[in-house]
Amino acid sequence: MSTTWLPCGTYHQNYAQDHAWWQTKFIKGKMILLFIILFVVIPLFADSYLLSVCNQVGYTILGALGVQLLIGFCGQITLGHAAFIAVGAYTSTLLILEFPWPKLMMDYGIAYPFSIIIAAVVAGIWSVLFGLPSARVKGFYLILTTMAAQFITVDFIITQYVSQIGGRGQAFSLPPGTVKVGPWVIDSDLKVYLMMLVLVIFCVVIMVNLLRSRVGRAWVAIRDNDISAEVMGINVVKYKLLAFFVAGFIGGIAGAFWISNIAAISPEHFPWFWSLWLVGVILIGGVGSIHGTIFGSIFMVVVMEALQLAVMPLADIYPKLLMDFLFIKEAVFGLAICMFMMFEPNGLAYRWWQIKNYFNLWPFSY
Amino acid sequence: MELFLMTITTGIMVGGIYALVALGWVLIYKCSGVLNLAMGEMTLIGAYVSLSFYSMGIPFLLALLFSLIIGLILGILTERIFLDKLIGEPVLTVIMVTVGLSFFFKGMVELIWGTDTRVFTPPVFTIEPIHIGPVIVGQAYLWSFVAAIILLIVFVCFFKYTRWGLAMQATADDEMAALSIGVSARFVYAAAWAIAFMAAGVGGTLLGNINGLNISVGYLGLLVLPAVVLGGLNSVPGAIVGGITIGILQNLAGAYLDKYFPGGIKEIAPFVFMAIFLLFKPHGLWGWERIERV
Repeated sequence: MSTTWLPCGTYHQNYAQDHAWWQTKFIKGKMILLFIILFVVIPLFADSYLLSVCNQVGYTILGALGVQLLIGFCGQITLGHAAFIAVGAYTSTLLILEFPWPKLMMDYGIAYPFSIIIAAVVAGIWSVLFGLPSARVKGFYLILTTMAAQFITVDFIITQYVSQIGGRGQAFSLPPGTVKVGPWVIDSDLKVYLMMLVLVIFCVVIMVNLLRSRVGRAWVAIRDNDISAEVMGINVVKYKLLAFFVAGFIGGIAGAFWISNIAAISPEHFPWFWSLWLVGVILIGGVGSIHGTIFGSIFMVVVMEALQLAVMPLADIYPKLLMDFLFIKEAVFGLAICMFMMFEPNGLAYRWWQIKNYFNLWPFSY
Repeated sequence: MELFLMTITTGIMVGGIYALVALGWVLIYKCSGVLNLAMGEMTLIGAYVSLSFYSMGIPFLLALLFSLIIGLILGILTERIFLDKLIGEPVLTVIMVTVGLSFFFKGMVELIWGTDTRVFTPPVFTIEPIHIGPVIVGQAYLWSFVAAIILLIVFVCFFKYTRWGLAMQATADDEMAALSIGVSARFVYAAAWAIAFMAAGVGGTLLGNINGLNISVGYLGLLVLPAVVLGGLNSVPGAIVGGITIGILQNLAGAYLDKYFPGGIKEIAPFVFMAIFLLFKPHGLWGWERIERV
């Protein structure tokens, strides 16, 4: 599925060409066009509503990348990823609010970027801690331990203990101006959007590069059959834990990014629902494909926004709908997952691949 | 000492309800291999249905019976519409379908019945506690336990002695062999879901009687997971022992550990226990250890 369709008569002559990023001129042009749209057209012409939708898509992509790595490429099913995102978000927030930064670092806006890195590492280590059972158990039992990670981390440690730091009680509010990258204070949707783009591209590049290296091949071997992977000389435990670390790392980046977009963080931002939502995103997008993660995120966010736009006019007539929207959203999400699993188990990425396949030699495909 | 005895008794009483729901879970897994994460929402549906009937003025036992019938219908429908097509699919697919179902059910329950806490009015059981030696037990707990145990016995007898129950056992043991001697596997799957739905509904109703009924009763469906892991995924006695153990453990943690870890230790303790237990004995007490080959 990952092979690129080449025009007639073009062949790869060595291994490096086969794994290159942009293999033909057409793909290069297409990607440059995409970057122009992302970096120039959208910031210039989009209004703040569209930008906020884009930011949600970006956050979902960042969160789902780690899930995709664990489920889609390493075969370790996780239902507790929101815990690691929460760890990232709380680490970053606490570092900004409580850590005695030198005045110089605050002024030059190094504190927040620095806290993102630390948050990512802390979330990665936390993820490895809960990935340890994967050395002994797999399949359904691993699902249970990752669920335990969610409840222990978010519902117990963060709600009961971390939230008490500084005597704030429930939520940590971030005063305006504290989230600062270099000379820019991240205070508008546009700035959040640009930061999101940089982080998403950074994480996707990390993922794709890892996946075309020895590490990625080891992960895929473990996913396909962990016993044969072990027979082939792969240190299964090491690579599984590495997968957990990288997934937690990206989750930490997602969490640390998201605090720039919200005024206050509380445990309610990271419920179990969000973990399941992320798994739903990659299932709808397509398991085992980076494209799938992005398609799935766009699909889910856009469908939910469209649903909201459709429901809102009705709310004038039935005011109860406004209150019940959350429940409708839940029910629609559940039904969407069921339908995709039953009728399109390969996800949107497979459909995309089929379309590309069809147009590859169009109109003379025979 | 008195506190200890009280805690243990309450734990056993609540554990009986957990055991009932865990039994339903194990039945589904044993018969059709589906790992069901929608159990909590199934308890919610059953509980709300019987509450609706009860508040219409129908006697409690009759309301419970109606909710059993509706559970039966819903269980068969769920199996036929959603799960039938997924037999033999990978674990993740089936689990996520049940997760999708759980969201669907939850959304529907919230849409229909709202999120406020509801109580059974007038109360089904009197508040007057019962003294058993030095131990004081609330009537709601006691009768819930009795009801749960009666239903457990009924289900186990059904499983062991009736023709349909034997067919279910045969399918659970070896599907191919069962098919070749004329057992309809599709019937067995539907029956397993129907029983699970009914058991969950009764469990939810009983728990709703103790604490009042709101969306958090669905948490019961998650508590079932530590119970079945403890007993082994495919063992019926394991589910019963596991359910009661988890009930005791939860109450002990609430009584003794709350001093050291203030807050929700009671809710978290089963999961911590489960995570540690999995490290040492991943197949549970009576579960089958599956030997893997390439």
